[in-house]
Amino acid sequence: MKALTTFLFVVIVIPVFSQTRITGKVTDTAGEPIPGANVLIKDSYDGTSSGADGTFSFLSEETGTQTLIITFVGYKPFVQQLELTGKDVTITANLKEEINQLEGVVISAGSFTAGEEKRRTILKPVDIAMTAGATADIAGALNTLPGTQKVGETGRLFVRGGDGSETRTFIDGMVVLDAYGVAAPNTPSRGRFMPFMFKGTSFSTGGYSAEYGQALSSALVLNSKDKAEMNQTDIGILSVGADVAHTQVWDRASVSGKIQYTNVRPYFGLINQVIDWNKAPASWEGSGAWRQQVGKTGMFKLYGNFNQSDFSLYQHEILDQSVKHRFDLTNRFRYLNGAYQQALNESWSVRGGLSYTYNQNDTHTDNVPAAETEKGLHGKLVFEHSVSDQLELRFGSEYFYRDYEASRFNTVSQLHEQVTFTEPLSATFAEAEYYASNKFVVKAGGRFENNSLNDEASVDPRLSVAYKPGKRGQFSLAYGTFRQTAANRFVRFNNQLSPEKAEHYILNYQVVTDRKTFRVETYYKRYDQLTKYADVAGTSFNNNGSGYARGIDVFWRDSQTFKNVDYWVSYSFLDTERDYLSYPHAATPAFASAHNFSFVYKHFVSKIKSQLGFTYSYTSGRPYYNPNRAQENFNTDKTPYYSDLSANVAYLPKSNLIIYLSCTNLLGRDNIFGYEYSTATNAEGAYVSRAIRQAAPRFLFVGVFITITKNKSVNQLPNL
Amino acid sequence: MKTIHTILILLFAIATFASDEKYYEQMGKQIKNVYTAKTIDELQAAVNAFNRIAGVEKSKWEPHYYSAFGNIMIATREQEGSKKDSYLDQALAAIEKGKALVPNESELIALEGFVHMIRVTVDPATRGPQYSGMAMQAYGKALGINSNNPRALALMAQMQFGTAQFFGSSTAEACGMAKKALEQFTSFKSDNPVAPVWGKEMTEGLLKSCN
Repeated sequence: MKALTTFLFVVIVIPVFSQTRITGKVTDTAGEPIPGANVLIKDSYDGTSSGADGTFSFLSEETGTQTLIITFVGYKPFVQQLELTGKDVTITANLKEEINQLEGVVISAGSFTAGEEKRRTILKPVDIAMTAGATADIAGALNTLPGTQKVGETGRLFVRGGDGSETRTFIDGMVVLDAYGVAAPNTPSRGRFMPFMFKGTSFSTGGYSAEYGQALSSALVLNSKDKAEMNQTDIGILSVGADVAHTQVWDRASVSGKIQYTNVRPYFGLINQVIDWNKAPASWEGSGAWRQQVGKTGMFKLYGNFNQSDFSLYQHEILDQSVKHRFDLTNRFRYLNGAYQQALNESWSVRGGLSYTYNQNDTHTDNVPAAETEKGLHGKLVFEHSVSDQLELRFGSEYFYRDYEASRFNTVSQLHEQVTFTEPLSATFAEAEYYASNKFVVKAGGRFENNSLNDEASVDPRLSVAYKPGKRGQFSLAYGTFRQTAANRFVRFNNQLSPEKAEHYILNYQVVTDRKTFRVETYYKRYDQLTKYADVAGTSFNNNGSGYARGIDVFWRDSQTFKNVDYWVSYSFLDTERDYLSYPHAATPAFASAHNFSFVYKHFVSKIKSQLGFTYSYTSGRPYYNPNRAQENFNTDKTPYYSDLSANVAYLPKSNLIIYLSCTNLLGRDNIFGYEYSTATNAEGAYVSRAIRQAAPRFLFVGVFITITKNKSVNQLPNL
Repeated sequence: MKTIHTILILLFAIATFASDEKYYEQMGKQIKNVYTAKTIDELQAAVNAFNRIAGVEKSKWEPHYYSAFGNIMIATREQEGSKKDSYLDQALAAIEKGKALVPNESELIALEGFVHMIRVTVDPATRGPQYSGMAMQAYGKALGINSNNPRALALMAQMQFGTAQFFGSSTAEACGMAKKALEQFTSFKSDNPVAPVWGKEMTEGLLKSCN
């Protein structure tokens, strides 16, 4: 009994007498006090918060060996064993900063990220949709960013002296072989994928990760949305067609489908076009997406898209406008993309995918048939491993298989001629990202490629460094070598051609605050192994071409200074020359312009429940070759400058209804993109020119968008 | 020996009771703090206290609830968008911990909707459509579990009112819901002594703009 009494005495009485006072100060590694930190004895009620000067003091009734924990957001927890005996304890706690991707340094050289609205991004999906003049086209909106050159007659992204084919599109990491829809010669094409499909867009104008290959100048990486949150039906009635979409949501899955019909025939009937259409373009498009959550962390995404479009037009000869040739085109496009990702454990994750592209152009020129078919398969498997919160590893392998076939009817021999090639290409890449602190990060990696068509293997290094000396501004550097198989129209005649090669050097400075962004970037790019004509006729090719591009890009965006106003300004300067294709010597290519300027303005006027937008773009004159001049004057002539002022209005009379109106080229400027010349000389012995112009001075678009959900506060604004 | 047993059992019971008493005492004190806090510092101190309690009382969802609530209140006072987001992230993390203990607690789900609603304020143009949808969904789910939850009703009314005002449509539905919420604030009694009780003043304020 005595023992028990003693025991009870010890248990009950001792705690009352042995309160220990714990005092101390919480600071960061630089000695700055941290106020508001949580100071506690593990598994007890005892604790307090640090004051404005970082100091704390509290009493604990616990005894013996205890664990003191101090936590504060953005810092690693401070843990210390204490012996509590009733004697005062003093603690000096230095909290180490956590590596924080939100506030810390990020590699920014060359890349513009959009989406993932919680991160500080430069463009958001809604920005892409609501940029006037872009007509809800991803490439159109990205064309207002610096580093891009406006090439109005193609609608494609031309980046830093590279041509449109040097920009590759990836969806969920998988390549898309032909990301643009078809368009009549010298008219802009639109991207095949609508911006609303994606939660994030990363547009890189150089120096991108080793994960992305077969892209010489630029990678457009689109990340599709995850599982949808609610059932909804969207209906769009457009001046050029109609669309309907439905999304059905289950607990762990969602399925959505969309059908769209576009027909510009009635519109072209109303508005006079420069093009002599026999049948203006019309297309059917369907797409579907399935999202399935698997287990705790797995996500499976399947996306499919089919599109069929056709048009027919008359091409007039330059020398004699009355002689015309009929040109018919039918394009069939299929794309299927399956992607899966899952965390394997705390530090390992895996993602992989498979994509299939089928693209066929069936043409008739004066009823003589020709066809071009490209099929591509891309498989990829990537592992990611967090060695610590400072070191990330990423490595993977991928396989591309491309099958190309072109055929035409030879009217002289009366035979069907055919050329084909098949290109299997495998690649392995590895990359390490090391955060020395929240101020300094380095990413280094390499990419190994093996092409079985021309039996060439290559290794391309990539390196980026970023340094953030203060709270806001940061510097980034990037270097890398990039390669891309030559265009199909050359490989089909010479499948031993080496890939074209580019080296990027980029220096970037940027300051990003919540609602303001400033960045300036300068770069040097060296082109090598460009495809060059080996003879005058252009039937044999070699890799003796080369070139360079250098310039400076400036970007400023501000959505803070003026209430309800968001605007951005871009300026790019480009100096580039290349000696490739049939060029007699190094010259600035026809698609390159020295100065590009964009001003994008958006204003939400709550009084009229409308968002108004304006975009002004300017591009200095582009070179063209006048065959009446001597060869040494190749590409020395310049077109007049290009300029465009576009506007749009989105009016929201009700929460589930949007009326959208947009018009390009309000001022009706007659922009000239270049000149075509006759292949033969006229009676005076001169080649005759014809300007390449806009199909119509303006493009007017009206759409009504209705969303039907149980919850009426949802509309299609983010989809536009 | 029997007596010793009895004593020990009794002691254990007292200890448990004492611990429960300490829990309610501490919770009561901190709940008062979080409701009356005027500054971010005071709110942070309360949030820290709830996190300490949550560390000890591993089966209770209420400390997580109030930790989240405190973080939401800080987010509403914070000016800088990225900081707001960081507090809302912490609120959401606390709600997730609570939901791991009680997956179908109407109050926790309503609070989750509140987090989404405050997210909208950081960047209404970009976030509005997505997060207001998510908030409405959470309120709907909370009311599905307990159709009398006055906070779920009040928050939903607030959201509907804002939307109706923006589009210039009738606020009748929102005001009707606010009225119902106010009735529930008076009549709804929980047998949980640390159950949330906030929201009445907010609803009264909303009803003032209704008239």
